[in-house]
Amino acid sequence: MKIPRCWAALALLGLLPMAVVAKPIAFAKGKTVMLEYGAGTMNELQLFYAPRYWYSIGGGWLELTSEDGNTQRHISYLRGNLLAKRWNMPNAQANVFVWGGLGRATGNDFAGSTLARNVGFQADYETRRVYGAFRSDSQESDHFSHRIDTLQLGWAPYKHDYDTLATWFVVQGRRYTGDLFEGTETALLVRFFKGGTWVEIGATTDGKLQAMAMFNF
Amino acid sequence: MNRFKFLLVALLVGVSSLASAKTIEIDVNGLVCAFCAQGIEKTLKGFPAAEAVFVSLEHRIVAVQLKDGADIDDAALQKAITDSGYTIVAIRRTDASLDAVRQRVKADD
Repeated sequence: MKIPRCWAALALLGLLPMAVVAKPIAFAKGKTVMLEYGAGTMNELQLFYAPRYWYSIGGGWLELTSEDGNTQRHISYLRGNLLAKRWNMPNAQANVFVWGGLGRATGNDFAGSTLARNVGFQADYETRRVYGAFRSDSQESDHFSHRIDTLQLGWAPYKHDYDTLATWFVVQGRRYTGDLFEGTETALLVRFFKGGTWVEIGATTDGKLQAMAMFNF
Repeated sequence: MNRFKFLLVALLVGVSSLASAKTIEIDVNGLVCAFCAQGIEKTLKGFPAAEAVFVSLEHRIVAVQLKDGADIDDAALQKAITDSGYTIVAIRRTDASLDAVRQRVKADD
């Protein structure tokens, strides 16, 4: 599978809509837990185990709420994540991840539950001072079609090392399809991580809380 | 015959140097975040010959302190780093302790 090198550059240029920045695969034989509170529009919990550095398996739970609060979805899914391509450079790394899965969804505008299909990808590029990631995640069923595109651009005021706290300032743009949110939701975030713990907190431009935590062990 | 003796001496000196190495330093590409370091550290600590592991993102170095008389061959190190998702640039063996390597690296910061 040949992926053009321009993916990471495209993400940095913001030519594609973007996503959550954390990687769905941390390291071989590593477990990842991710929790995200997305400004009242989305909440998500994910758990993955990576037998090898290039794939992980696991599941998640996603709650989507429309801006007016009238429509809500709950989706539980099983997913496989694949590192399609990685570039290891002396002072940088770039990755392309793809994933897919199946789950069950419920909603307040249809009866019972329905099969949900999930596909997505993420392209990211990072050094110890700058970071860019674009992610697109789709949830489809016979009753709905949602896609969440997230772009994050980050800047670190200093270069962290393994034994020091990393601090990042991040600008996030997020677009929802499927009548959840009109326009682009913009958020400013501050991110800290050390060892296997990552915490990110901030607010959207209309004052709603945006937060995320990730643990690798 | 002299040539054979020379090769034998060279071999013995080489083996002696290898056996006395205390620390292995590995230059690695792609080391940009704590999660990268965490995965490599976990993998290398799994070697029975590894006493301790030190990772410097600034210098892109992974250092492994060896147990007395123990060693890890280059092929095994290459596989460990590659299977962690990173790229080895060079492997060096040194008589310096891991603390000495750590202090040298910190002094260069």
